[in-house]
Amino acid sequence: MPFRPRPWRAIVCLLCLLAPCVAEAAPYLDDLIGRSRELRLSERREWHRLMHYTDNWVTPGVHSLADARRFFLAADGKTNPQSELEATLAAFFSDIQETDKEQNPQCAFISRYSWLDRQLGFDPARLPRQPCKRFHEWRDTLNPQGVTLIFPAASLNNPSSMYGHTLLRIDAKDQDEKTRLLAYAVNYAANTDETNGIAFAINGLFGGYPGMFSMMPYYLKVREYNDMENRDVWEYELNLTPGAVDVVLMHVWELGPIYFDYYFFDENCSYYLLELLEVARPDLDLTRDFRWWAIPSDTVREVVKQKGLVRKTVYRPSNATVIHHRLELMSPEEQALVSSLSRGRASASDPGFAGLSPPAQARVLEVSHDYLNYLRATGRSPVGDPAELARTLLLERSRIGASAGDPPVPVPEVRPDQGHGTSRIGFGGGRRDGANFVELRARPTYHDLMDPDAGYVRGAQIEFFDFAVRDYSGSVGARVEEVTPLSIVSISPRNEFFQPLSWQIDIGWARRRLASGAEPLVFGVHGGPGLAWTVPDTLRSKTMVYVFLESTLQANTLLENNYALGIGPSVGALIDFTDRWRAEPYAREQSFFAGDTDTAWSVGLRQRYTLDRDWALRLDLSRERQEKQSWNTVLLSLHHYF
Amino acid sequence: MRKIVIAAVLSVVPAIGFAQQNNIGTCGWGAKLFDGQSGVVPQVLAVTTNGTSGNQTFAITTGTSGCTQDGVVRSTWKTAMFIDGNKDRLARDMSIGNGETLDSLAHLVGVREEDRATFSRVMQANVSLIFPSGSTTDDSVVALKQVLRSDRELAQYAASI
Repeated sequence: MPFRPRPWRAIVCLLCLLAPCVAEAAPYLDDLIGRSRELRLSERREWHRLMHYTDNWVTPGVHSLADARRFFLAADGKTNPQSELEATLAAFFSDIQETDKEQNPQCAFISRYSWLDRQLGFDPARLPRQPCKRFHEWRDTLNPQGVTLIFPAASLNNPSSMYGHTLLRIDAKDQDEKTRLLAYAVNYAANTDETNGIAFAINGLFGGYPGMFSMMPYYLKVREYNDMENRDVWEYELNLTPGAVDVVLMHVWELGPIYFDYYFFDENCSYYLLELLEVARPDLDLTRDFRWWAIPSDTVREVVKQKGLVRKTVYRPSNATVIHHRLELMSPEEQALVSSLSRGRASASDPGFAGLSPPAQARVLEVSHDYLNYLRATGRSPVGDPAELARTLLLERSRIGASAGDPPVPVPEVRPDQGHGTSRIGFGGGRRDGANFVELRARPTYHDLMDPDAGYVRGAQIEFFDFAVRDYSGSVGARVEEVTPLSIVSISPRNEFFQPLSWQIDIGWARRRLASGAEPLVFGVHGGPGLAWTVPDTLRSKTMVYVFLESTLQANTLLENNYALGIGPSVGALIDFTDRWRAEPYAREQSFFAGDTDTAWSVGLRQRYTLDRDWALRLDLSRERQEKQSWNTVLLSLHHYF
Repeated sequence: MRKIVIAAVLSVVPAIGFAQQNNIGTCGWGAKLFDGQSGVVPQVLAVTTNGTSGNQTFAITTGTSGCTQDGVVRSTWKTAMFIDGNKDRLARDMSIGNGETLDSLAHLVGVREEDRATFSRVMQANVSLIFPSGSTTDDSVVALKQVLRSDRELAQYAASI
């Protein structure tokens, strides 16, 4: 530790002006600082976690991830753990009285105070302890007993939600599983009123928004995820000691007014929750793997991976999941009643309804109400005054004493944190257009249609930076085959009750045949809307068929007009012969009408066989035609997930 | 197509916001939950509302702000806030006579274990009074108090609302 002038002296002097009594603090402060140096407290991991110090990228030393000036008491506190610690000790001598708008440093930095007090044993006679009334009232309201990590899982029609979000819940002593709605959620989020999505995306990518912690009743979050966004929620109850829970609370309090620059991909919600857990459990190193890329679901895996950290998991199905489940339990007649009651096309006086048993009536009314709310939440109200229709259904329901007696939604066998690893590497060999090749394929993250489904959403794909290189025999040699920075597919089946639109989009570079026979890497954007159905129409159906209307825009100087724009249909099916064996036959056609006049098409059969959670075998067969040239490809590959 | 592209590009990032959501500026927030939701694209964007808080209501250590104190709901508001935030679910659970929101309301009101069955039954019987047509949260709070008061066994809990 290099010698530094004592910054606390300046602070003490400043405080002298505000409060004459601190003048007497100096000898005891000297003593505390002296002991903190002997103990080398500023080098301790606990101090570094409390201050969110992280190693510099290039130069030696550290910097704090906190970006709010007020988080630091020393002028160079962001980069100097020692001077920040000494300035913190000095600030504790302040006798600023707490008001609704201002706090004494002992209270504003209460987690630091608590830790330093434990290390140095503050003498209350010489360093008077502040009452910190606001903190204690806040803590009493929360009445903490434990902390639960909350993970809203992907929604059915939204692959991007696979990426996820995490928050913490502070569980109160007087609550149980039935009243957890009353707990408080601690959420870390970018704080902005920006409504322009593009501006939001750009600012978010480059840290343009302040990220802040906030608290709200957990029920607001449950309503948001379960009812509005139709996402199932997973709750991971953490095994923390009462002391560690207190540290979490004190640190949340300390971070209340503090912002961090928010970055979507690394310094995001999930990263800071890990940081918070590390403050409570400095023995854990949760953030190490997430410095550059923190995917919420991966951070959940990291937490689950820590031995004994997760005590229990709870599954909270979304409104849509409950409706799906209960519709499956119904007879076709009951389903038909739900369909008409929820749309106001029939009433409880309908003879078909009146003839049902009381439990069946209860079931039909409850699901009708829930389905009506689902329609409202997705902006498709079937009637002008859905609130009144909902009320009518509920009043009918309240007149039935019987219970529907439906079993609860079964907990999925595989949790989101138990699916295959999100990174994938594959090695294979095959033959294309008369030339043998070997292929190496890698994808940093996340899941594609042919990957094993357990823990993921069926029919959903989101991949970042998938790329493949091949080494061909003969004149072609080694080359990059494709690079796809982004690919999303959402194949969501439709039926009488759910009518989602399927869609897909991918952006990247792929080989494209030219009339000359050359195959440059051509940049393209491709995608479009589609429709999908399961055959037969049940939750556990093994077959899903789809049609898409796809468009392609390609750009490359080697193309005749530097670009090509095409459109055309595609059809295909995802068929699960067994839990392990999936096949996808497909056919697609693109008619280029601007920049080019070629009609390109491809037909193929992709197959995957799951060996175990992290290994899968694939066999891809295809025939393609571009610029009036046709060729076949066969590829057998082995993929590993990690 | 363009819309989908934009939606897709925007929604790949975690915690992107649909900032208008969640913008709870006053003490009431239940009605806000249904704002701004229509069509596929908003739904796609909404997935990641996660990203924004966009309001100071629940900021921690900001002192008193309307219904909250340093980020937690002030005790005088607890029941009203709960009803406001869970209107649809609460009306549903009441009409069924059980459920998580009903259990939570009973807990908030302080209903003892031995009175829970009565509480559920009375709520089920009076759901139309507690949630009259076009009711506001204030109406429901007043009506709930009234319903409790007029039941012999539950009258003792009316004061806690």
